[in-house]
Amino acid sequence: MQKILKVCLLLLVLILLFSLPLSAQADIGGELKTTLIGTVGEDGEISTDLQESLDLELFLPEFGNTEAKFQLELFNPPLKDLTGDDQRISVKKLYLRHRFTNLNLTLGRQPISWSFGSLLNPVDFTLGAVAMGEETSGKYVDAVEGYIPFNWNSGLALVAAYPEHSDEIKWGVRGRAGIRGYDLTMNFVREPEITVEIPGVGMFTNPPAKRAGLTFKGDLGPIGAYGAVGYYRRNNQESYVYLLGGDYSYYSGFDKKITFQLEYLSVNRDNLNNILGMNLTGLTSGGDDTLNLLLGNVSYPINDFSSVSLLPVISLDDGSLLLNPTYQNLLGNNLTLTVSGVVYYGDEDTLFGPKEITPVQGLPQKVPKGVLEVGFSYSF
Amino acid sequence: MKNYKVILPVLGLLIILLSNLALAITAEEIINRRDDNEYIVSARVESEMVIINGGRKMVKTMISLTDGRDGLTEFTNPRDRGTKFLKRGDDLWMFFPDAEDVVKISGHMLNQGMMGSDFSYQDIMESDKLTDLYNFEVIGEEEFAGRPCYLLEGIAKEGAEVSYYRRKIWIDKERFIGLKMELYAQSGRLLKVSRAEKVEKIEGRWLPTESVMENKLRRNTRTEFKIISIEFNPEIPGGTFTLQNLQ
Repeated sequence: MQKILKVCLLLLVLILLFSLPLSAQADIGGELKTTLIGTVGEDGEISTDLQESLDLELFLPEFGNTEAKFQLELFNPPLKDLTGDDQRISVKKLYLRHRFTNLNLTLGRQPISWSFGSLLNPVDFTLGAVAMGEETSGKYVDAVEGYIPFNWNSGLALVAAYPEHSDEIKWGVRGRAGIRGYDLTMNFVREPEITVEIPGVGMFTNPPAKRAGLTFKGDLGPIGAYGAVGYYRRNNQESYVYLLGGDYSYYSGFDKKITFQLEYLSVNRDNLNNILGMNLTGLTSGGDDTLNLLLGNVSYPINDFSSVSLLPVISLDDGSLLLNPTYQNLLGNNLTLTVSGVVYYGDEDTLFGPKEITPVQGLPQKVPKGVLEVGFSYSF
Repeated sequence: MKNYKVILPVLGLLIILLSNLALAITAEEIINRRDDNEYIVSARVESEMVIINGGRKMVKTMISLTDGRDGLTEFTNPRDRGTKFLKRGDDLWMFFPDAEDVVKISGHMLNQGMMGSDFSYQDIMESDKLTDLYNFEVIGEEEFAGRPCYLLEGIAKEGAEVSYYRRKIWIDKERFIGLKMELYAQSGRLLKVSRAEKVEKIEGRWLPTESVMENKLRRNTRTEFKIISIEFNPEIPGGTFTLQNLQ
């Protein structure tokens, strides 16, 4: 089904391309990225890995009310031993969107995430699709999406997705309403059973699940406030997730502006891995106890071209801590240097402390002490 | 005859005085005539922003559509290509092109430099007429860049939501266009200075097509803003300033 959909879509995009007048301007852009990742293991040993990626996007002019997007990523995957592949191509976007008067219809591989400005999103279409400003491949899905507007800031989005590793459809619905300056959303997602083969472990099955969520975002005086409540049901087990957060800008002499963001998350341990996203997967073992996290982000622009930020995540239950500092500097017009790190701190077997993690062949068996990344990216 | 010797000079003086009074222009008239030129109700603008800090430079290009208090800006330079801002009244929304996410921006972010420039979101997207926000008075006449100017001072009206408490504007006496503007905090501290570098007459209106904004609280930094093309009162399709169109 998915293959037929992709072939049809590719044909449609090609037809659209060839039907464009010669005068129409098509353009190619993207980003070239190289990052050296140093991982400090539990015993102090350092391992390094070089990641390179090329993001290519074809910018096509709109054809009446129809637009086509094509974006792919070429990359050498981290932990090559795990996959045996040296290079991979991932299609991020390959879709057609038609804007009807009262409907936007999007067909094909597309990013679907239901962000509302939080650092973690426990009520996203795909949990962990975007976490702490980092996106994951989970965001890109083969899907049909319809968006029906009610007014300028209210509408209904309906999604039917075809997830990998499943024969069933994943579907979701999200309503959005702007009321008195507040952005309110309500969503429901039905996830099918997903079976994945994990090297060295065997087959892993994620049973079907249902999720419902509510979010809000708006201003409370000078503070930007947001929150979410989620209800999960998997294997007849129910759990709730709560998130409350705010952001604020502090000006020192009109010039030096420090932006703060602080949020509290209460979530079932089983679901935390998913919400934290791929970057931090494996930190927690399963369990149905509730975990309480406090997340923050402080960012400070050093000047027009460089900035520093610090993102701490604290487990309120055991006092363990994750620190994610980042320094970014725009060296040339389109060349950016990024230096970032992750430091884990805590006692043995605490959330972010040293412990054995999911035994996957080719992956470290213990949570590292820290990670340092130095990368360059060039946009064109 | 003796009486005539007295009456004639007095009459002359009266005529001069009355004619001066009749010709005197008020601050409101000056600002309104400036607004006739510079206040844009509806337009499509292609522009370029060059952010300069010491010897370093960053270029951002964008296409904006404005209609009254609504605005839609899309960045077109490689690094920010596809990033869009939608302003509806006081609400600001941002579209992130990679994630294709639409997120409401907190109100406190409006005072932040837009995409790293010396122009805040407020500076770029301020859609109210200056006379709606400030009480102006003429405080003098001065020459700027070889042009005779009215010098006006505006103090924020009570309750008006403004980024700057006080403004001083040098308005060209002949063309009624702001050539220089100083922006002050309530404390009296000078925050920013903008200068028109190039002025053009487009569709019968004088407009600064090249201007420079300097943040006086930072050294060696300025942002140049150039209008590459502008079309007044373009046909804007219904639904342009909506979240449906933003994504």
